[in-house]
Amino acid sequence: MHKDQQDDLYNKFKTKIELVSGECYRVNTALEASELVCNVLIEKGIKDVALLNSPISQKGDFVNTFEKKGIIVYTDNFRQVTPDAQAGITQVNYGIAELGSLVQADADVNQRLCSTLVPIHIALISTDKLIPTLKDTMATIHSLPEIPGFVGFITGPSRTSDIERVLTIGVHGPKQLVVVFVDEEVGGVA
Amino acid sequence: MADKQFKKKISDALDNNVLRGALGRFGDAYVISREKAYEGYDFKEISDNIAEVKSYAASHLDEMIDQFEKQATARGAKVYRASTGEEAKQYILELAKKKEVKRVVKSKSMVSEEILLNKTLMSAGMEVQESDLGEWIVQLAGQHPSHMVMPAIHMTKEEVADVFSGHLHKLNQPVIAELVKTAREELRKSFLEADMGISGANMAIAETGTLIMLTNEGNGRLTSTLPPTHVFLVGIEKLVPNFEDATHILQALPRSATGQQITSYVSMVTGPTPAYYPDGTVQDKEFHIVLMDNGRRKMYEDEKFKKTFQCIRCASCLNVCPAFQLVGGHVYGHIYTGGIGTILTNFVNSEKDAQNPQNLCLQCGKCSEVCPGQLDIPQMILELRNRMGEKTGLPFTQKFALDVVSNRRLFHSMLRMASIAQKPFTKGQPVIRHLPMFLSGLTEKKSLPAVAKVPFRDVFKTIKQDIKNRKGKIALYAGCLIDFVYPRIGEGVIKALNEKGYEVVFPDGQSCCGAPATYMGDRGNARKCAIMNIEALEAEKVDYVVSACPTCTHALKESFKELLHDDPALASRAEELSKKAKDFSKLLFDLGGLTPGGDGIPLKVTYHDSCHLKRSMGVYTEPRKILTDTSGVQLIEMKESDRCCGFAGSYSIKFPELSGPILDRKLNNIEESGADVVVVDCPGCLMQISGGLDKRNPGLKAIHTAELLLDKRKNVKKNRVK
Ligand code: SF4
Repeated sequence: MHKDQQDDLYNKFKTKIELVSGECYRVNTALEASELVCNVLIEKGIKDVALLNSPISQKGDFVNTFEKKGIIVYTDNFRQVTPDAQAGITQVNYGIAELGSLVQADADVNQRLCSTLVPIHIALISTDKLIPTLKDTMATIHSLPEIPGFVGFITGPSRTSDIERVLTIGVHGPKQLVVVFVDEEVGGVA
Repeated sequence: MADKQFKKKISDALDNNVLRGALGRFGDAYVISREKAYEGYDFKEISDNIAEVKSYAASHLDEMIDQFEKQATARGAKVYRASTGEEAKQYILELAKKKEVKRVVKSKSMVSEEILLNKTLMSAGMEVQESDLGEWIVQLAGQHPSHMVMPAIHMTKEEVADVFSGHLHKLNQPVIAELVKTAREELRKSFLEADMGISGANMAIAETGTLIMLTNEGNGRLTSTLPPTHVFLVGIEKLVPNFEDATHILQALPRSATGQQITSYVSMVTGPTPAYYPDGTVQDKEFHIVLMDNGRRKMYEDEKFKKTFQCIRCASCLNVCPAFQLVGGHVYGHIYTGGIGTILTNFVNSEKDAQNPQNLCLQCGKCSEVCPGQLDIPQMILELRNRMGEKTGLPFTQKFALDVVSNRRLFHSMLRMASIAQKPFTKGQPVIRHLPMFLSGLTEKKSLPAVAKVPFRDVFKTIKQDIKNRKGKIALYAGCLIDFVYPRIGEGVIKALNEKGYEVVFPDGQSCCGAPATYMGDRGNARKCAIMNIEALEAEKVDYVVSACPTCTHALKESFKELLHDDPALASRAEELSKKAKDFSKLLFDLGGLTPGGDGIPLKVTYHDSCHLKRSMGVYTEPRKILTDTSGVQLIEMKESDRCCGFAGSYSIKFPELSGPILDRKLNNIEESGADVVVVDCPGCLMQISGGLDKRNPGLKAIHTAELLLDKRKNVKKNRVK
C-alpha cells in the first residue's frame, strides 16, 4: 500500500473513531508503541493490565517496558484476571477506515476476555491492516480459508441509551477504547 | 373496530406524560440522526440489495435452511429445527436440564420473548437473567418491552431507580450514569456465573453457517464468550444466502435503527469456539442453534405477506409512525409492536390479537418510505383489516354507513337532505357530524364544514367553459368531498384545465370512490363503488380522468384494479381508467403548467403534502412548482410538511383522541411557518386542517391548490360558494 493511501485511510479511521469516543494514535515501531502504551497506562493510573501476547507486543517488549514502570502485567490465566484487571491489551486483525471499526477475527476466547471484560481496552494494529470499507472487509473475511469461529467488529467503547435515550458509555464492555497503529511491519496476526 | 379495553389502553398511554415525552423526543431526534447516518450513502441502493438477498432467501427457504444446517453442523454446531415455539422451548429446556444449568444469561432475543422462554426455564427452577440493559429493566419491573430496539423507552430514570432499589434492596439515585454502573456490576456477576447463554441473531448466513448479532452494550460479546453452553434462538426469516450479503444489512440496520453508522459491536459466530469450563479447562463450548418457524412460513406462503421476510427488524417503521409516537408499544398487546408488529402478531400469535392494533394504522405510508426492507406495511395492514372485515363482519353502524355510500342514489339524496336540514342548526356547524359517514369525523378540536347548498354536480351545469386551442377532453371525478362540501375546488380544476385547452365533462353516474369502505375493511362495498365509477366515467372516451382528491385518485389508479382483478372485462376497463387517472396538480404540471401569472398580491403560503399524493403517487415537487409559478405567492416550507394531518378518513371518528394530537402537531408546524395560508391538495386534509385552524387560529386559512389558482389568477368574488 502506498504511504499516502495509508495516511488517508488512517485519517479517515481516526476521524470516525473519535466521533464515537475512541482514542487513536499512530507510531512507527513496535518499540514506540510500547512506550506510548506505557505512558497511556500511567496517565490513566493503571496498576495492572491483562496482555494477550501478540507480534507487536513481543517485538515491542511490552512486558518489560511496563514492569519497569511498576505495572503488573498478566499474560495468562485470563479467565481469572480479566474480571478485575484495570486494562487489557490485544492485537486486532484489521481496521475499517470507513467506520473507524476494529476487526477481531479470532476464535481464541482470550482475545475476547482481554478486550471485553476490562474497563479499558487498548488495541494494537498494524497500519497496513487498514481496509477502506465495510464491503471490502466482508470480502476479506470471506476470502479466508474459513470464516473464523469468532469475528468481532469493535467501534468505540460499549454504550447504551436504554434509559431515557441518554447516551451512556461503558455498560457491559470497556468504558474506554484506545487504538494504536504501528507502521513497522511486524508480521503475525491475520 | 377497537373494543373498550383497547380504548382504555390508549387513553392510559395518552395520559402517560413520561411515555409521550420520551417517544416524542426520540421520534424527533431519530429523524435527524437517521438522515445524518445515511449521508453519502444511497439508501435506495442499500434497500434494493436487502430486498434482493432477503427475498431470495425467503423464496429458497428450505434450501437455505438445509445449507445453513449443513455448514453450521460441519463447524460443530448442533442445529435443531423447531416448527413451533413449544418445540423450541422444550428443546432448550431439555438441553438445560441435561447440562444441569442453574443460571442462564440472555442477550437480546425478541424470539425468546415471543415464545415466553424465560417462563419455561424459570418454572424449571433456573435463574434467567436478561442482559440487555433495557430488557433487564423491563424484566425487573415485570413488564414487556415496548419497543423492538429500545425496550424500556417508556420508563423514566426515576422509575428505573425505583425498580433497581426494590430489586437490589438498596437505594438507587435517579442518576443515569450511576444506574448504568449498577447494572454493569450486577449483570457482570450474572455473566461470570452463568452456565448457559442464550442469544438472538440479526442474521443467519446459509453459505457459512454464521450467526451475526449487533449490539451496543457488549452483552452479545459476553454471552458468546463466557458461558460454556451457548444457544442461539433464531427465526427462519433471519436467513441470508451468502456471507457478503450481510454487508447490506450491516449498512442499513444500525443507521435505520438508531441513526448510528455501525453499532459498537458486531459479532459473527461460526460454530463453537473455545470457552473456559468451571474446572479451568479450555474446550470447545456446547453450541446449539434453534431455527424456529412458529407461524413464519405461513406468513411467507401467504401471497400478500411474503415481503415480511424482507424485514430486518430495525424498527424505523415504529419510530416514524404518528400513532406509535403517541401511544408507544404496550398498547399493541404483544411482543411485536407498531405496524410491522401488528402483522407479525397476526401470524405468530393469532389473528384475534392483531384485531385491535391494526386499527391504529392511519395508512399514511410514512413507514414504507423509510423501510430498508421495502415492505408496504400499510397495504399489509389493510389486507388484514379486510380479511377481518370479511370474516367477522363490520359493526352494524359502520356497515350501514358503507352500504349507504355504495348506493349512489340513496347516498346523494341523503347528502342533499343534509344540506337543507343543517340550516336551522346554524353557523355552518351541524348535521354533517350526524351523517353516518366517513365524513362525519368529529373532535372537539376542530369545527366541521357545512354540506354545500348546491353540490358540485349541479354547479357544474352552470359553468361556462371557455376553451381556446382545444386539445381534448377530460372527465372530472369529483369524489364526495368536492361534490358535496367543497364544490369550489371543482371550479378551480375546470378553470385551469380549460386554460390548457381541455374541455371538462362531469359524468353524472359517478359516486363515492369506495375508499371509506376499503379503509374500514369492507371489500364488498368497495367493489360496488369501483364498478359504479368505472361504468360512469367511461375512461375510454376521454384523454384523462382528473381528480382533485389524492385518496380518490389512488382508488381510481390502484384500488379499482385490485378489487376487480378477478373479472377480466372489468379489469381491463379498470386498467384503462388507471392509466388515464391523474391527480389535478400532477396533470396540470404534466400538461406544462399554467403560463406564469397571477394578481401579484404578496401571499405567504405553506404547503402540506397529503399522504396519498406524496407517498402513493410520488407527487410533491409538482404542486410546489404550480404554486410558485403564481405571481405573488411566496412559498415557505413548514417543518414536517409530509407528516400526516390525522384525518385518515374514518380514523378521526374511530380515534379522535389520536387524530387530535396528530392534528395539533400539524397546526403547530403550520403556525410556526409564518404563512398566511396553508395550501393542500386533498379535500380530506383540507377538512381536517381548516377545521382545526378555525377553532384555534381563524386568521389562518387552509385552501386547495385549485382554489388558490382560482383566487390568484382572476379577481373572482371571494368565497362565492362557501
Ligand atoms: S418493516 Fe421495515 S422499517 Fe419496519 S422493522 Fe422491518 S425493515 Fe425496519
